[in-house]
Amino acid sequence: MRKWLATAAVVVAAGTWAAAIDALRLPKDPGSLKFAVIGDNGTGDRPQYEVGQQMAMAHDVFPFELVIMLGDNLYGRQQPEDFVTKFERPYAALLQAGVPFYASLGNHDDQKNRFYAGFNMGGERYYTYKRKTVRFFVLDTNLMDPKQLSWFDEALQASDDLWKIVYFHHPLYSDAGRHGPDVQLRVALEPLLVRHGVNVVFSGHEHVYERVKPQKGITYFIDGSGGQLRKGDMNPSAQTAASFDQDQTFMLVEVAGDELHFQTVTRTGRTVDAGVVARRTIS
Amino acid sequence: MRHHALSHDPMALAAPGRAVIGPAVRFVFDRFLLLPAGAAVALVWANTAPEGYYQLSQLLAFPVNEIGMAVFLALVVHEVFEAIMPGGALHTWRRWLLPVVAAMGGVAATAGTYLVYVGASHETVLAQAWPIACAVDVAAAYYVIKLIFRRGAALPFVLLTALATDAVGVLVLMTRPRAVDVWPGAVALLLAGIAAAALMRRLHVRRFWPYFAAAGPLCWLALYLGGVHPALALVPIVPFLPREPRSLELFAEPDDDDPLHHAEREWNVVAQVVLLLFGLVNGGVILRHYDTGTWAMLSAALVGRPIGIIAAVAGAVACGLRRPRGLGWRELGVIAMATSSGFTFALFLATGLIAIGPVLSQVALGALSTVAGAALTVLLARLLHVGRFAER
Repeated sequence: MRKWLATAAVVVAAGTWAAAIDALRLPKDPGSLKFAVIGDNGTGDRPQYEVGQQMAMAHDVFPFELVIMLGDNLYGRQQPEDFVTKFERPYAALLQAGVPFYASLGNHDDQKNRFYAGFNMGGERYYTYKRKTVRFFVLDTNLMDPKQLSWFDEALQASDDLWKIVYFHHPLYSDAGRHGPDVQLRVALEPLLVRHGVNVVFSGHEHVYERVKPQKGITYFIDGSGGQLRKGDMNPSAQTAASFDQDQTFMLVEVAGDELHFQTVTRTGRTVDAGVVARRTIS
Repeated sequence: MRHHALSHDPMALAAPGRAVIGPAVRFVFDRFLLLPAGAAVALVWANTAPEGYYQLSQLLAFPVNEIGMAVFLALVVHEVFEAIMPGGALHTWRRWLLPVVAAMGGVAATAGTYLVYVGASHETVLAQAWPIACAVDVAAAYYVIKLIFRRGAALPFVLLTALATDAVGVLVLMTRPRAVDVWPGAVALLLAGIAAAALMRRLHVRRFWPYFAAAGPLCWLALYLGGVHPALALVPIVPFLPREPRSLELFAEPDDDDPLHHAEREWNVVAQVVLLLFGLVNGGVILRHYDTGTWAMLSAALVGRPIGIIAAVAGAVACGLRRPRGLGWRELGVIAMATSSGFTFALFLATGLIAIGPVLSQVALGALSTVAGAALTVLLARLLHVGRFAER
């Protein structure tokens, strides 16, 4: 009964079934790690529900095993009922399918949200976990204290995983107009990312989608339009590989061997970017 | 009795310094303008070549913020210590009572405004920065009031209010745990440092540097390893330093042959060089990083604090305390507004309490923006016709 109610809520909130994803451009390798990416999603508004619905449909054809959240997981009030309307209902279908969500904290998130079971943060502001050949490192960029920095350095050092993927809320590179890159954080974090062979970094904060050309060998994605949207905010520059600021988006990612395949999809199912990132090796 | 260095009058760097530095440099030194100069350079640099700026800033942050600033903070505490000792301009609890009440009202209203603002914006991660909103730039408050009133009860009143307010910030800085592992032997190290200073006092050492050189490192290590901001390291030594009472407004030239005055001038110069570096290292914030924390800081400092101070004074007067002679409500309004600039101390608290990242950027930008409070104070004085703007 609860499942039925949750599904019905999604349908009612979305208003209509969106069109299915236009064409899957991912290899769907049987042994690969498949995951989805959302950021700045927790508005509780209709576009968030539509993205959630599109993700659920994508999951039917591309069974990703986890979702990473790039922060601002909840906007506005953050009472128990808000976790329902801004997280549990929009992604009810995925949660019922047993897909875990792994969150990072954004500036709009209450720091206490790290204790919320649905975000799988284990009560930590920053943490790491492994799936298949990929180790994920999750940071809290609101406050990059020395203790977190040294933890990150040591965790990266200890990892001998094939892929090291890092995600946090505030982007180190960005061509969006509202905030732009956080250069102070970049100066603190980039040397560690480069030294320890991090391959890909995901961030949110800017309410657009952007893929930045590899910087010192690292590919940076911004996907902060999982619920919010700042239309027309992109000012693409020479470092912009691709961008989209006209609709809400989420990402589908597949790590297969030495390649990371990605596809960025709007809430209406349109693909706005897709490609492959090759794993870099450090000497 | 001699001039109080907090007033930074043109005689503060008199004698040997005067012979070797030009009037322009002396003007800058006397009015503690090196810090705003450093911050202005940093602001331009960070907004034009941020990567280079932040690399330098990261390199210098520890030596400047955690070591160098100890020299400046010790100077401020030393000045206050001399002013409140018997014979000092701020001596007697009667003079303190109303400003302390005003300061507490100001702190409550500032913190309240700040917390309500960030709470309403649902950005609770910013809440921990409330002590930064409460900070008052003592020098800025003093200078703007001196510009408006020149003399009278307004000067000690604004100084006492500002100092009492900043005492809250120091208390928070001392007690808020830092994200480090605490070494249990730190207390013993601190006691050893204090004992070294007491010994030198007993031996009648008349220069400051031997105290700093011998006891300073012990206290610094003790605080650093004990999880307390090490910029406060020289504060426990201050009570043992040679001192004499100070007045607020005497523009008498200090005795140049007095080694105490000479040593203090040296100390002042070193502290100001530290302030220049402090402004340079911490003043660089990207202007488009303004956000909720910036507006919350501005609202709290420019609106919350003046209202809180006036409300607290009104309450105290209603309870039977007397307003200082010559200070009507219009004058008190201008004094309250003069405390709205947090600048130096706000920036110091920000770097001491908040780790690098967007929270610090927003709050630091707010701290820098509160300098607008000085201009607003002059404007208010003009509107209310007080001090030099009074109708004759």
